Amino acid sequence: MITNGRTAPLVGNQSECSELAQTPPPRRDRENAPGAGKRGPVGGASPQRSQWGGRARARARCRFRFRFRSRSRFGAGPAPPVAAIMEPAEAEFLAEKELVTIVPNFSLDRIHLIGGDLGPFNPGLPVEVPVWLAINLKQRQKCRLIPPEWMDVEKLEEIRDQERKEDTFTPMPSPYYMELTKLLLNYASDNIPKADEIRTLVKDTWDTRIAKLRLSADSFVRQQEAHAKLDNLTLMEINTTGTFLTQALDHMYKLRTNLQPGESAHSQDF
Amino acid sequence: MRGALRLVAGACGRMAAAGAEGTEADSDGGSEELVLTPAQLIRSLEQAWLNEKFAPELLESKPEIIECVVEQLDHMEANLKRAKRGDLKVSVHRMEIERIRYVLSSYLRCRLVKIEKFFPHVLEKEKSRAEGEPSILSPEEFAFAKEYMANTEAYLKNMALKHMPPNLQKVSLLKSVPKPNLDSFVFLRVLERQENILVEPETDEQREYTIDLEEGSQHLIRYKTIAPLVASGAVQLI
Repeated sequence: MITNGRTAPLVGNQSECSELAQTPPPRRDRENAPGAGKRGPVGGASPQRSQWGGRARARARCRFRFRFRSRSRFGAGPAPPVAAIMEPAEAEFLAEKELVTIVPNFSLDRIHLIGGDLGPFNPGLPVEVPVWLAINLKQRQKCRLIPPEWMDVEKLEEIRDQERKEDTFTPMPSPYYMELTKLLLNYASDNIPKADEIRTLVKDTWDTRIAKLRLSADSFVRQQEAHAKLDNLTLMEINTTGTFLTQALDHMYKLRTNLQPGESAHSQDF
Repeated sequence: MRGALRLVAGACGRMAAAGAEGTEADSDGGSEELVLTPAQLIRSLEQAWLNEKFAPELLESKPEIIECVVEQLDHMEANLKRAKRGDLKVSVHRMEIERIRYVLSSYLRCRLVKIEKFFPHVLEKEKSRAEGEPSILSPEEFAFAKEYMANTEAYLKNMALKHMPPNLQKVSLLKSVPKPNLDSFVFLRVLERQENILVEPETDEQREYTIDLEEGSQHLIRYKTIAPLVASGAVQLI
């Protein structure tokens, strides 16, 4: 379907060919999404915001077809992105709930947060807190971070070699190993010995896993499987290819089911 | 069955029963009362948030969770106002409030996006809902959806329809607005073990087969087959 001179494949969530209404275009994501797997103008659930601009509405192809605009076109700002995408920042948000050990240099009695109690803080005694708090305290120079016990050069080398040997995914030391590595190494690299080596090792492991994921996603699509089991995959890895994969599968499904003109296929009628 | 949610000792965010066990079924007149600690409440809010994010259709509304979370946040805010300028504690509490508020508003925003996207179908579903079934729209969302529909119809009429030839002045929004695509694939994590989930074949050569879902495993599967499991909380979309 050609819209505005740009070829947009299967724009919108259209199960039939002729839809009079079109879903409002989502805002283009401004965040840098490293490895977020968002490719170009993929249709389906999230059409890219098209440059209709101005009053280009009038360029409707068919006389009786008109574009439906959401109210958001008229000054209220662009519509928010469609739901089924998790930004890497949100995966990091979830990872920040993990507990990590710190050694405070202040003292405070117990804090009763809505999400749980945090133990009394005494200078020099290690205490467990969620990562979001640990990072914040570290930035205010009120504590020292202790790296989790898996963040150690030998262990990570073992994990990396194990990952390279196996064909399937091996269990990772933490379901949020990538986010934790990034956060801790960014904000607390002085508390972590051999930070650079650790960064390289984690990146190697990540690359191996993503390569395996790509291969298995490829074979999944090729053999048109209906179900896949993905234990031992962490959230960040799933997010990296997840959006693209699910949208691609949806498109293929639509193409496949529209091959047979069944009772559900409407022609251009009202 | 949705009943009232009762929070254990919600004052001051103090979890007196921090080790309290989760749920007691208190059946009086057929309604269950769930007793949750605030920590469990926040966790169920996050679960609802993730499910809503990845499900292709609008899920049930969870008014109890939202009310309780808002109550907790208000409580905490009131306490913070009264507290002295004990700088560190206040800022820690404030950070946590911001985090919870983000999840809550993201959840509500996600629902609104879906309502705006599928408004005729959502309203149709609400109209044809049986008496005992839980509603997918809260009262405010219902009012919003109706108003959105009325505004859209008025807009279409004024912009285009009244300039059309008289026999073409009707448009059925139910037919023209795309339906949610229940056949889309989703990733999920299993919270409770399930047996014999039917997997439908993709091509004509394949046959359907059943699988068992082990607890803690993750899968990629069509949404349609597991939709009731999402509603009951046995799986979590990721």
